[in-house]
Amino acid sequence: MQPSDDVLRDIHRRMVRIRIFEQEAGKLMEAGKIPGALHLYVGEEAVAAGVMVHLSDADQITSTHRGHGHLIAKGGEFHKMFAEIFGRVDGYCKGKGGSMHISDMQIGMLGANGIVGAGPPIAVGAAFTNKFKKSGNVAVSFFGDGASNEGSVHEAANMAALYKLPIVFICENNGYGEYTPQAHHQAIVDVADRARGYGMPGVVVDGMDAVAVYEAAGEAIKRARAGEGPTLLECKTYRFFDHVGVRGMGLSYRSDDELAKWQQRDPITLFEATLIEQNIVSAEEAKVVHDKVEAEVQAGIEFAEASPMPDPAALLDDVYK
Amino acid sequence: MKRPIGIAANPASGKDIRRLVARASVFDNQEKCSIVARCLVGIAAVGHAPIVYFDDTHRITRSAIEDANISATPIESLGTGTARDTTRVAVDMKDFDCRVVITLGGDGTNRAFVKGWLNAPLLPISTGTNNVFPVIHEATVVGVAAALIASEMVCFDDVADQQKVIHVRIDDEDDDIALIDAVVSMDRFIGARALLDCGQLRTAFLTHANPAAVGMTAIGGLLEPLNTTVDAGLVIELSSNPASARRWVRAPIAPGLFQDVGICSLQRVALGHSLEIIGPCVLALDGERERVLKPCQRAILAIERDGPWVIDVERALHAAAKNGALVPAWELNEARNAG
Amino acid sequence: MAESKTQPEARELTYVAAINEAVRAVLTEQPDAFVAGEDVAGAGSVFGYYKGLLEEFGAERVIDTPISEEGIVGLGVGAAATGLRPIIDIMFMDFMGECMDEITNQMAKMRYMFGGTAYLPITVLTMSGAGISMAAQHSQSLEAWLCHLPGLKVVMPATPYDAKGLIISASRDDNPVFVVLNKMSLGMKGEVPEDSYTVPIGEASIVRPGENFTIVTYSRMVHESVKAAEALSSLGVETEVVDLRSLQPLDTNVVIESVKRTHRAMVVHEAVRFGGMGGEIAAQIQELAFDYLDAPVARVGAPFSPVPFSPQLEQSYIPNADKIVAEARTLLDV
Repeated sequence: MQPSDDVLRDIHRRMVRIRIFEQEAGKLMEAGKIPGALHLYVGEEAVAAGVMVHLSDADQITSTHRGHGHLIAKGGEFHKMFAEIFGRVDGYCKGKGGSMHISDMQIGMLGANGIVGAGPPIAVGAAFTNKFKKSGNVAVSFFGDGASNEGSVHEAANMAALYKLPIVFICENNGYGEYTPQAHHQAIVDVADRARGYGMPGVVVDGMDAVAVYEAAGEAIKRARAGEGPTLLECKTYRFFDHVGVRGMGLSYRSDDELAKWQQRDPITLFEATLIEQNIVSAEEAKVVHDKVEAEVQAGIEFAEASPMPDPAALLDDVYK
Repeated sequence: MKRPIGIAANPASGKDIRRLVARASVFDNQEKCSIVARCLVGIAAVGHAPIVYFDDTHRITRSAIEDANISATPIESLGTGTARDTTRVAVDMKDFDCRVVITLGGDGTNRAFVKGWLNAPLLPISTGTNNVFPVIHEATVVGVAAALIASEMVCFDDVADQQKVIHVRIDDEDDDIALIDAVVSMDRFIGARALLDCGQLRTAFLTHANPAAVGMTAIGGLLEPLNTTVDAGLVIELSSNPASARRWVRAPIAPGLFQDVGICSLQRVALGHSLEIIGPCVLALDGERERVLKPCQRAILAIERDGPWVIDVERALHAAAKNGALVPAWELNEARNAG
Repeated sequence: MAESKTQPEARELTYVAAINEAVRAVLTEQPDAFVAGEDVAGAGSVFGYYKGLLEEFGAERVIDTPISEEGIVGLGVGAAATGLRPIIDIMFMDFMGECMDEITNQMAKMRYMFGGTAYLPITVLTMSGAGISMAAQHSQSLEAWLCHLPGLKVVMPATPYDAKGLIISASRDDNPVFVVLNKMSLGMKGEVPEDSYTVPIGEASIVRPGENFTIVTYSRMVHESVKAAEALSSLGVETEVVDLRSLQPLDTNVVIESVKRTHRAMVVHEAVRFGGMGGEIAAQIQELAFDYLDAPVARVGAPFSPVPFSPQLEQSYIPNADKIVAEARTLLDV
């Protein structure tokens, strides 16, 4: 199904929100203002946006260590996100989770996850709830090409197919498991090839093309909601930044040429060009979207910087209910 | 000096959205690799022939060649992960003067190849979803057919037929081509490529119309069958509006997917016939959305019989049987001695 | 027998039947509860404690899973986080190696990591203990692994009564609770009320009072400790046996109060002594009751070895009343 103009503008806005948030978060990390490590989503925006536009707050997702993009696309709020990655008390997790565990249970975002491959079994549990309660909701699990080699992913896929659960497995294949190129971590190139072994449809789609992701994810989600079972949807995409932090060029484990080639297919540049060419948004309207998001990001950062650090007395809160 | 056999396997075939909407299953690359391996066995059974191959991004053919421990000449992939890789390798295979090229893919793969080499001599093996152009034959036998032709044990002209194609010329942009069908859709985006919503279709231009096949060709085939040998094409005007559709046909527009298609008109046209299309619209070629026409942008579609030569595997093997091409050398020696 | 007719609460049940009754009670009381695990539905578990539940509650609530421990625990975590109350079965606790990430990094931490926004009402039933020649991979007592993880609760019932009451408590708790059962105890009988009841998590019980010596123990070693206490009684030592019942949270008060009265203590468990719960309990006793102690805190546990297969070797491996008595006599010099 081709997206309507409203949906297209929505996808665009979600992508721009991810891009600007991540760029600013990266700057803050480089400036030493953020404790710990950030795994940034820049380059992969079309995947999160193209999928999430199909979901409601009642649908659940599990995310990865590279989770900001998923939360933003699912409807995450900048001020709580910045507060969390600054380790402040007003953050999504009261400063206890940070970037790698950022979550919003209210909108079905069951957490970024520091353990590669840990999300899919949890998403299977969420999908189980949906089926148990006959809610019509769907669970979507994001994971990478690296995670696709974890036993947990195979176990989850098998169980999802066995129980015909309302779930979509989205493999964000960015060509690298951390710093190791795909050719050095698996004998196959298309993770979707494994779908056949799990007993579910497998689809490969261009993860730099938001409309392609939208269409394929839409069919997979529709199938899941209809009770027809899971899908493995592989989106071919690329990480413009490093595994951790910002630096994109001059890395020992991948070539600048390769990055430059992928940057020519920047999902936001491509998508904006299409929208403008088809008179769906004007260049001025696109700029307004950027400016608004920019202002929202700056407001989020100010909010986070003004938010207090958590009280040490709260250290043991929430270990148990 | 024997002319080489080309092998071009498309790693991307058999994996698109039709797995979801059309109940197709993933065509995994391990199976494609095995198909190439069986082709190589077929080639070896006839005798040595030089091989050049498309060194695809998924190493499908390279792995098979390495496993078989034979020497062959790789042609490096552009590495874009798109159909351009296949189009580019076709240009190179033409330069290598391949006598015959084995392609692995569906209609889309062969279309991409023919874009690079219009009258290529092809042995297309089906590893795709829509497979009107490639035919189903065991790869081992396809390998034999390729080797028979490359070694001139079977006469190419006796077993190959030149195909009709639709030439697509777009104002201010690169030309394109369709082997089976060129369709005008009111979709706005290429997106996930596959053509799945007949409600958006306006015009279909077919080189052949086969009611026993799947895809746009089936729409025409169910109305007025037209085979590959007849020098004609079909132009069908479509509409999902009951007020303008004069008749309806229930057609399998993709594997596992039927839709009721409204027909406004149908016209059989001679070779050379051309159609003018004005944007905005999307042109789908051989079942996949390929080109976006901007408002007022013009495309001309024209049917000709100047496309690829497709080798008929049956005819090739029957010819081989008749002239004893597959009798082993030791048997010939014994027969000679006995004589 | 005539008495049991007038007092139905004095009904006796085996440990395995008590588990069955507990799970049946949970499924009856809680519409959002379900049981999932290997062989739990059609077979009613390899230990038989889910027998009849599939027939009673149906395949939507009693679910056979693939042999995929990480998948099963993940299913529990995801289902709990989205509103259900899963009972997850890990057939042998030795199999936790297969799912330790979902236990350690997801189940135990999710609530804390998410700033208290996640609820994880998961009950995990699993089986510990040696004694039936199941060898090194089906006989371990690995409770220390679990107790080391903030966010988990761990209970280890010694009796049919506690098994039923602790399982029902676990299922009503909004935290993940591991109920670590003991396979040698499955056939033991004890009094079990027919109604639903709870045994509070985090409360130890004094199963035998005594004034000269305290044995702190749990699970099947409670019964060996009571036997040892009888033997020590004939030597003039009156031993108080504390059944911890819960290991996390640990009822430190009952332990410390007992030691303050008896001035001598020993911790007994079936798990390997090195790095076991005994070390933690001994440390707490010396921290909180050092001035009351007349002797070092002793520990009895399995030797630092995998559980052996051969019955003869296995018997020499598992702590028992004789070993407890021998160790106590050295400690107490009697």
